[in-house]
Amino acid sequence: MARGQPRSEAREEISADRLLIEAAQRDPRRFAELYEQNFDRVYAFSARRVRNREEAEDLTSEVFHQALANLPRFEWRGVPFVAWLYRMAANAIVDRWHSTSKEQIDPRRDAEDKAALAEVEQRASLFQLVASLPPDQRRVIIQRFVEQRSIREIAAELGRSEGAIKQLQFRAIENLRVRLGGAHA
Amino acid sequence: MPKLSLAAQLDQAIQALLSHPDSVPPVESSLAPLVRIATDLRDLPREEFKARLKSDLERKASMATPAVTPFREGFHSLTPYLIVEGAAKLIDFLKQAFGAEEKFRVPKPDGSIMHAEVRIGGSVVELADANAQYPPRPTNLHLYVPDADSVYHRAIAAGATSTHEPVDQPYGDREAGIRDPGGNNWYIATHKAAGPGQFTPEGLRAVTIYLHPKGAVQLIDFLKRAFNAEEAARYESPEGAIVHARIRIGDSILEMGEAHGPYEPRPTGIHFYVADADAAYRQALAAGATSLTEPNDAPYGDRTAAVLDPQGNSWFLATPIKDVPLP
Repeated sequence: MARGQPRSEAREEISADRLLIEAAQRDPRRFAELYEQNFDRVYAFSARRVRNREEAEDLTSEVFHQALANLPRFEWRGVPFVAWLYRMAANAIVDRWHSTSKEQIDPRRDAEDKAALAEVEQRASLFQLVASLPPDQRRVIIQRFVEQRSIREIAAELGRSEGAIKQLQFRAIENLRVRLGGAHA
Repeated sequence: MPKLSLAAQLDQAIQALLSHPDSVPPVESSLAPLVRIATDLRDLPREEFKARLKSDLERKASMATPAVTPFREGFHSLTPYLIVEGAAKLIDFLKQAFGAEEKFRVPKPDGSIMHAEVRIGGSVVELADANAQYPPRPTNLHLYVPDADSVYHRAIAAGATSTHEPVDQPYGDREAGIRDPGGNNWYIATHKAAGPGQFTPEGLRAVTIYLHPKGAVQLIDFLKRAFNAEEAARYESPEGAIVHARIRIGDSILEMGEAHGPYEPRPTGIHFYVADADAAYRQALAAGATSLTEPNDAPYGDRTAAVLDPQGNSWFLATPIKDVPLP
């Protein structure tokens, strides 16, 4: 699914996907692994089409609860598991259409649009990379972007100068750029 | 005025992004990739949310019974059991026309086939040669493939008779019809409204049994009482006849449409994996089925029983009770 991914790697990912799904179908407790693998993608997909964090969280939650409930009926047809999740997310967005969509663009088209999915995939990789940042950089990113705190507030809380926090923020984002492999460039 | 450091310039842009979500502030070109990342970071999910949802799902999953499937590997609830004249020839046809994979066959001393299983896509089809006790009972099957046209032509080349050429149906299927050398009708379809890389409507697998009973309403009613069937879809004609219905039984779908014109009732054999063959047998009889075989342990490791429904379809109820290696 990711841009430029060699075919054999994509195939391996699909067969690993399949093993995980079958394991979770036998024992629903294994669903956690499918969740870990797909959380950022579903969240990124949902966040593109709704107005705020609460709605993105609601949708993501709905998709995974639905996926867990319907897993026994999921039949492997060679399409990545995440495509099934995207479709569920798109349908859930359509269901709430009037209250939540950012634009009148049918999200079901996103679920089939290669460019839209590549963008979602890229954001999901970005979200995952945040977890791999050095702890102080990661803390600044989360406080700034998730908690929407000002540099001054963060500086006060961490007992550092505002300049130092801006430097940390800069280094964190530069780090993410490098780790994304220039995909954002 | 001293020029702002890159870190300060980036922060200015981020501040603008956070306070005016719809605008991307202009920055010098070396910062542009970083601002794009910052734009995406606005959608960064909350870690607490991710952890909480995970634990909710884990709690829900731990309450769900682990899916102990009462099926033999590769099987689903319903499997068509075709009894035909010339089972070996039919297997060859299914391989050539539909890319079927032969899983195994049990030949009789006279060379005829006592039992065979082939896999088509994600579905199993079982078949056997007819004999005095079990005369041929050709039926109708719905087959979903990635390209109905090419499979139709392959089927004709492999010896099938055309019943209708590929057409676009109003319900979103490209669909053709053939009769195989064993006399079974196949509706070969590609569901064009399916999602990316898919060609099967939601809930269906490669092969689905399609019945044309006289009295579909009564048959559905029986299936609900006998086998806890649920109606997944029902389309009626203005006169109230069932044009098309999808009936969910276990994890599978059975399709049907009231008999009319050339679409005659062709009762068939259906292999039905259940959690408890004895209980299912009793429930079916109570719902009006006729007993064919009382529950017994079959040598291949299944507890089995068989009943006849009011339309003449044979239901072979089965629950695996022990593992017996396949021949």
